[in-house]
Amino acid sequence: MPKCIIDGREVEFKPGQNLVEVAASVGIEIPVFCYHPGLTVVAQCRMCAIEIEKMPKLQTACSTPAAEGMVVKTKSDRVKQNQKSVMEFLLINHPLDCPICDKSGECDLQDNSYKYGDSYMRTTEERRTYMDLDMGPVIQKSMNRCIHCTRCIRFGQEIAGIHEMVAVQRGNNTEITTIDGRPLETDYAGNYSDICPTGSLTLKDFRFKKRVWYLKKTPTVCEGCSRGCNMEIQQDANTVYRCVPRTNMEINKYWLCDEGRFNYQYIHDAARVLNPAVSGGTAGLQMTEWSQAVVAARSSLDGKKPMVLVGSDLTQEEVQALQQFLNKHLSGTPIFHFGTPGVTSTQKDGAADPILKRKSKTANLNGLEKLGIKGFESVPSGVNAAIIFRGGRAVVPELKGVGTKVGVGVFNKPDAEDFHAILPGTSFAEKDGTIFNFEGREQKFKRAILPQGQSKNLPEILMLWANSGAVGGAA
Amino acid sequence: MLVKHKRGLFQRFYVVELLKGLTITMKNMLFGKTVTIQYPEERRNYSGRFRGMHYIKATNGVENCTACMLCPTVCPAECIHIEAGERPDKEKYPVKFEIDVLRCCFCGMCEEACPKDAIKLSTIYEMSTEHREVYEKDYLLEQRGNK
Repeated sequence: MPKCIIDGREVEFKPGQNLVEVAASVGIEIPVFCYHPGLTVVAQCRMCAIEIEKMPKLQTACSTPAAEGMVVKTKSDRVKQNQKSVMEFLLINHPLDCPICDKSGECDLQDNSYKYGDSYMRTTEERRTYMDLDMGPVIQKSMNRCIHCTRCIRFGQEIAGIHEMVAVQRGNNTEITTIDGRPLETDYAGNYSDICPTGSLTLKDFRFKKRVWYLKKTPTVCEGCSRGCNMEIQQDANTVYRCVPRTNMEINKYWLCDEGRFNYQYIHDAARVLNPAVSGGTAGLQMTEWSQAVVAARSSLDGKKPMVLVGSDLTQEEVQALQQFLNKHLSGTPIFHFGTPGVTSTQKDGAADPILKRKSKTANLNGLEKLGIKGFESVPSGVNAAIIFRGGRAVVPELKGVGTKVGVGVFNKPDAEDFHAILPGTSFAEKDGTIFNFEGREQKFKRAILPQGQSKNLPEILMLWANSGAVGGAA
Repeated sequence: MLVKHKRGLFQRFYVVELLKGLTITMKNMLFGKTVTIQYPEERRNYSGRFRGMHYIKATNGVENCTACMLCPTVCPAECIHIEAGERPDKEKYPVKFEIDVLRCCFCGMCEEACPKDAIKLSTIYEMSTEHREVYEKDYLLEQRGNK
């Protein structure tokens, strides 16, 4: 491998790597604003300028590929002076909004100003201000904070495949906006907020909810579709506040779609059934105790021929525990998986768009097929009851001729009014597990928050069921 | 080894010692300098930097606070609870601003951390109440004290 020298250290690199990446590989940080590893290089913020021996002027590290024998200085006086000047230049028009701004605490401009900028301001002039247009339901724009890095414009063009953000006007008056001020159309709009190095584009969903330094981060896997994008749940005091993408070059790179990003909302949905419930006839679902609900669920299957429906949003461990339980207590019961209407097997799964989204809107379709469970097509003859196991995503199919329904897992009150009993289970943020994405890639995720309300993990529910006396139904 | 003094009946009344002690007391009472003050009527002068009851500073009737959460972050007693919100005349303001005074240790770090000069400690030190007190936003917004 060729070698170059950065700050007196010999560094190996792959040909074609730029100096920001090469320096980062040995822990030397070069500050950047407009450079993003997932986007093309424009070298317009000038923050990454470094000194290269035998070159008369400073060079931008993001646009300079490393070369054999190159001698680079990232901490010389000239470089430091340039960083100071660039910071001052960017902050001429940046409002002192940090107490209000949602980005503060994870803001590149804030961090770099602290590390490389001056602690005082020489300008006394009034700052440039803009009128802000609404940008749709996902992104809140605050143009005053913008530093014109154009990352958002490049993201739209290169990743989201829609050229909706543009820079209008010139020079000092440049304004980043959508064409004709239209709202954002892309399904990947949340990424605008992630890549923005300042607080110009922030999430409306997260607006003023929490300061970022309070959030505890748990790496997890998105359960929004069979892609299995890597993301991070950020929570505080058992409440999930947002999900952000985690870099995984083999699956989702740096991005996450809005569906996956805001999927967490059902966890804290007011309509979610969090207490064991049994049907109270015309009165609808009635909250009850665990012991009573399990007995009610069991006895509702007495004398009936049940089938088991497993949501393909359950984890591998849960389904294995369920299979063992069925072999022991309900042997002979037909078992099917369900998830997305129309996608009953991995053959019918496909890309829903050219970026990340898949047609199967549940994460573990592949894993359930590996366990030998077939997709649900129609109710087998003679079956008149169903036990439905579900995570937060799978869509319960229409069950004709099934009179008795028992739900185990995450259910919403309006969808579950005709159920005989509901035993509340846990969503993906409340449990550990393994899922297989569409390529067969096995991914593990960890619990981020404790189970909400009285909900319990599936193995625990099965244990309660098994210990609640004679098991009803086909047993 | 314990030494036992033999005392007579008169000595065991301690009259002389009592009178000696009383003389010192009387001397101080009649001719000594008073160190106490008549509290509610008379008051001591405290430094302007005294850290007493909290208040939120307002400018033109609008609270300075923008709910940036730096004071609850820095508070070692974790006694400040803020909820942020939005309203037409102010991009971000505290919907809820509560100080659990019983937990407060009056270190003044909140005042130091505040970027907006909003939370302040006044020189008011008379804060005894009959029940456990949580200061709410409306109460804190009343301008008291000498700053």
